Amino acid sequence: MTQPPIQGAPIVVHSLVRHFGSGDNLVAAVDGVDLVVEQGEIFGFLGPNGAGKSTIVRMLTTLLKPTTGHALVAGYDIVKQADLVRRSIGVALQDSAIDPLMTGTELLELQAVLYGIPRAKMHARASTLLERVGLTAAANRRVITYSGGMRRRLDLALSLIHEPTVLFLDEPTTGLDPMSRLALWEEVRRLNREGTTVFLTTQYLEEADQLADRVAIIDHGRIVRQGVPKELKAKVGAPTLVINVSAPQQDLAKSVLARFGEMRPTDEGSLAVGLIAGATGVAEVVRALDEAQIDLHHLELNEPSLDDVFAEATGHRLEGATPTAEQTVK
Amino acid sequence: MLTLRAMRGLQRVPATFLPTLAMPIFQAVAFAGTYFAITKIPNFPTDRSINWFISLSGCMGGAFSGLGLGFAAIRDIENGFMDRLRMAPTPRAALLLGPLLSALARTFIVLSTVLVVGYFFGARPTQGLAGIAMFYLAGFGLAIVATGWGLGIAYRFRDMRGAALMQLTLFLVMFTSSAQAPMSMMQGWLLQVARVNPMTNILRLSRQGFLNPPVGGVSWENTWGGLLAIAVLGSLTICFAYRGLRKLER
Repeated sequence: MTQPPIQGAPIVVHSLVRHFGSGDNLVAAVDGVDLVVEQGEIFGFLGPNGAGKSTIVRMLTTLLKPTTGHALVAGYDIVKQADLVRRSIGVALQDSAIDPLMTGTELLELQAVLYGIPRAKMHARASTLLERVGLTAAANRRVITYSGGMRRRLDLALSLIHEPTVLFLDEPTTGLDPMSRLALWEEVRRLNREGTTVFLTTQYLEEADQLADRVAIIDHGRIVRQGVPKELKAKVGAPTLVINVSAPQQDLAKSVLARFGEMRPTDEGSLAVGLIAGATGVAEVVRALDEAQIDLHHLELNEPSLDDVFAEATGHRLEGATPTAEQTVK
Repeated sequence: MLTLRAMRGLQRVPATFLPTLAMPIFQAVAFAGTYFAITKIPNFPTDRSINWFISLSGCMGGAFSGLGLGFAAIRDIENGFMDRLRMAPTPRAALLLGPLLSALARTFIVLSTVLVVGYFFGARPTQGLAGIAMFYLAGFGLAIVATGWGLGIAYRFRDMRGAALMQLTLFLVMFTSSAQAPMSMMQGWLLQVARVNPMTNILRLSRQGFLNPPVGGVSWENTWGGLLAIAVLGSLTICFAYRGLRKLER
């Protein structure tokens, strides 16, 4: 008899820890994570590479056992009821887990068999999903001929074959061109509107900002901030004023800026300050820099972003927070 | 479905299966030609050298077919497809059964081809269908053993380093048995190793249908040792693979 799930939030994580290695080489990839994802939510899990995002996803999707702690997904324990968790979730991992020698249709049918979907329904379900992700025309082509975006969409279709209630997307848009990224965001929103709870990991601030109802920011295996993006940004308070000056004048410029607010971490070669006076204080800063005979190369005022939240929480900026040309595979 | 997937893979990239098919055939023909004089040894159980070597080729074909699934498992781990299989609510045993059935299907192709080519080069069964059945039985048995071994190694090493170990162990076990010469011709450490090497019993099982009595001939005496070796090694290696699959979660 199938055990009934524990009623409540679709994802409940308590003191989750995962170590790799042993002795002197022991690494705590995840170091005591607590979080709750509510029904029907898109939950963004934001952090730099190596912060522990994928390790948490691998634990929650039963691919990896936690060292200590426990978690419930769809009401089932990820260790003791792994099989029931697997039946309830859909997963699209960071690297599209796809056999390049198979066609889109074959992969969907294999996935259907693995999830025990009757053969009578299998073909119709595969066709519907291929249409939904815009791959009908490529359905009978081998995946090796697909572009990066097509593979991601197929991966998403595969994760939906059994109509899961909780969907895990591990960095779903890494390496995608802007058009493919937007198309995938739209599909995620559509799934969410249909009632699917989405757990999304990303290193892109914009993605978390655009999609997530709530976010958790992870760094070095620990959650450093958690909440609604708007509220987290509001807590940072003042907008960030970023300036560029020549290297010999950096120290002097820093001492001037420090009079207008708290210095914030920024890219090398730039200086940033949380401008207490807001936009109205910019003119005064420019005057002060001019009086100090500092040659200003560039100035910009940014409203608080999730990057500021991250910087405020960790003391450093999120590297690769926006996709670069090199990261984007056309 | 996993078996079907593996067979489709053969059809789409035949190059991956070619060595498994070509090596045993080449071995049977080359060894039979090079060592044709082996039949001049007094009381040698056949007057056709290929009748002696065809069983070695059949066993090699079964073993290579099984190891091929180990290589395929490494590719699946490296390209992430293994994660997809592991995330499915399928019993873990089914993830082993798929490759196992696929290995048996590959072995059937290899053994049948070896038999046909062997016949062309002069191999003649001496014990009719029962003897040929023993040839297939030994090949299938080794395919099971090698699949378990290959998957177990693949799940532990998780990359192509494992492939070298799979092949090395196979050759070591194969050629320290009665693979090339009868036990009566062996001396020293090789004889001692061959005596306890389970491969010797599996080869005896396979050779019954191609050798003349009393060494050949289908009999329980020539069969039980090979069956026992397959049962024990098969159980151990399949357990090894199953535990390896579980280790992926740790």
